[in-house]
Amino acid sequence: MKYVGRKILTMLFTLLLVSFLVFLCFTVIPGDPAIARLGTDATPEAIEMLREEMGLNRPFLVRYADWLLSFARGNFGDSYSYSMSVADLLLDKVPITLAMSLMSIAMIVVISIPLGLYTARHEGSVIDKLIYALNQVIMAVPPFFSGILITLLFGIFLKLFTPGGYVSYTTDVTGFLGYLFFPSIAIALPKIAMTVKLLRSELIEEKKQDYARTAYSRGNHTGGVLYKHVLKNAMLPIITFLGMAFTDMIAGSIVVEQVFSIPGIGRILLTSISRRDYPVVMAVVVCLAAVVIVVNGVIDIIYQWIDPRIRLEGEKS
Amino acid sequence: MKKKLKFNACVGGILTGGMLLFILTGIFFLPYDPDAMNAELRFAGMSLAHPLGCDNYGRDILTRMLVGSRTTLLVALGTIVVGGGVGTLVGALTGYFGGWLDEVMMRVIDALFAFPSILLALVVVSLLGAGKYNVILALGIAFIPSFARVVRSQYLKLKEMDYVKNARIIGCGHFRIIFVHILPNTLSVLVPTLMIGFNNAVLAEAGMSYLGIGVQPPDASLGRMLSEAQTYLFAHPLQAISPGFAIVLLVLGFSLLADAMEEKGCRC
Repeated sequence: MKYVGRKILTMLFTLLLVSFLVFLCFTVIPGDPAIARLGTDATPEAIEMLREEMGLNRPFLVRYADWLLSFARGNFGDSYSYSMSVADLLLDKVPITLAMSLMSIAMIVVISIPLGLYTARHEGSVIDKLIYALNQVIMAVPPFFSGILITLLFGIFLKLFTPGGYVSYTTDVTGFLGYLFFPSIAIALPKIAMTVKLLRSELIEEKKQDYARTAYSRGNHTGGVLYKHVLKNAMLPIITFLGMAFTDMIAGSIVVEQVFSIPGIGRILLTSISRRDYPVVMAVVVCLAAVVIVVNGVIDIIYQWIDPRIRLEGEKS
Repeated sequence: MKKKLKFNACVGGILTGGMLLFILTGIFFLPYDPDAMNAELRFAGMSLAHPLGCDNYGRDILTRMLVGSRTTLLVALGTIVVGGGVGTLVGALTGYFGGWLDEVMMRVIDALFAFPSILLALVVVSLLGAGKYNVILALGIAFIPSFARVVRSQYLKLKEMDYVKNARIIGCGHFRIIFVHILPNTLSVLVPTLMIGFNNAVLAEAGMSYLGIGVQPPDASLGRMLSEAQTYLFAHPLQAISPGFAIVLLVLGFSLLADAMEEKGCRC
């Protein structure tokens, strides 16, 4: 319990630091939001009034505290360019990106664990070598290029989906998931390759341990030992890796959304950056960072729950 | 195992060498002006004069790839110099000295680590504006945390070694120990990390240029070429495939070399 408490405290502190860094960055940039809203030919009095109204004349730390408190209450401010609240703007985009990320994670788990087990069991075979080569190639393909290749192959030649024909989840859920299936492949592919490679080397390492030899010597079946004993221990680093991969997948989805013209979080982030719509950019950045921090924190907690040695070590120091 | 290692290093070396030769050629010799437009050659197919054909403005694709991969290499190397340099310095100092400086820096690094590197780069670009040098700066900052962490853990381990204590007894200063005694011993870990970082930088630059917030025209970039070609994907797939493959070959070569090196480093 002590471990969990300390972990949550560290997470909160990191979150606070992230929000402070983001707020600092977007405050020191040149350019006055009041001038941006009124245009450069506004009178100095009008600008001064708007500055007062927007609270720009208050000290930096007061503004930060104010922003943070309203942020915690779910009030992300108003978008400059859409004239609606940022929360409303983002709310209906979240399910799209979320669905895509969850589908990619599911693909990674479903595909890479059997492949990793197979390659570890048949180490050195022709298929193992083939999968190694394939892994190396796949890792070198950036998600947006694999997205383009997938569009070319499945969209244009095989006509399994219409490129650019995004279906909203409010009208047709199956069509929505069907369209997101292909971008999810593009996001998941490099991670699948990495997971297979990592799982294979972990399994081979664990297979040499004494407990595995003992299990064999008691007459257990090769596959049984691999699935019941070795896999459990080899999964620990994989879980950490998946947590880190989650970060990359969020980044990947920003790019891949653009390839498949999906109106998700990434799309709104990019348009907001080009329009200098800072409240939206700040909200998206802080929220994504928060998701990453929470996911990694939860993984750390799960990890010590699976493997109590980590907790004991942490309490000793 | 040994045979595979050699195979890795061979293929990786050939690919990397080939790509470097390709980029080097582009510095000294360009078959055409990369920006010269020619309406007659719009979407010209493969020919002896234009081996990879021409794009939607009638520009020679091979020439643009020569220029674009040069930009990509420049940005990736710049990123490694900025991110690797600062990251190594931060990691070395915090790992060696420890104390409150270490605590503070690690918390900041943790906070930076919470951003996916492309997101962090996006933030920097949205503050500074796009362009080649801003992308180097943005990606450089985004890559600091990963280097700092790796180097720090090495220094934490190595500073307890006997040779460091010996050096202290002889009377070496801290900075001499950090840079002359310990740093060379971290190379077996640092070099593969730098190579993987180089790959990530290539991929991140291509991604950012693809999104239109990286390298700006008139600078050609492989990622930008891809996004321009995507509009015409249906009729002219080759225009998208060739710059894409250039990225893949560059990254593949380096990752095979890094793999070979890591395995070698593990053994000794």
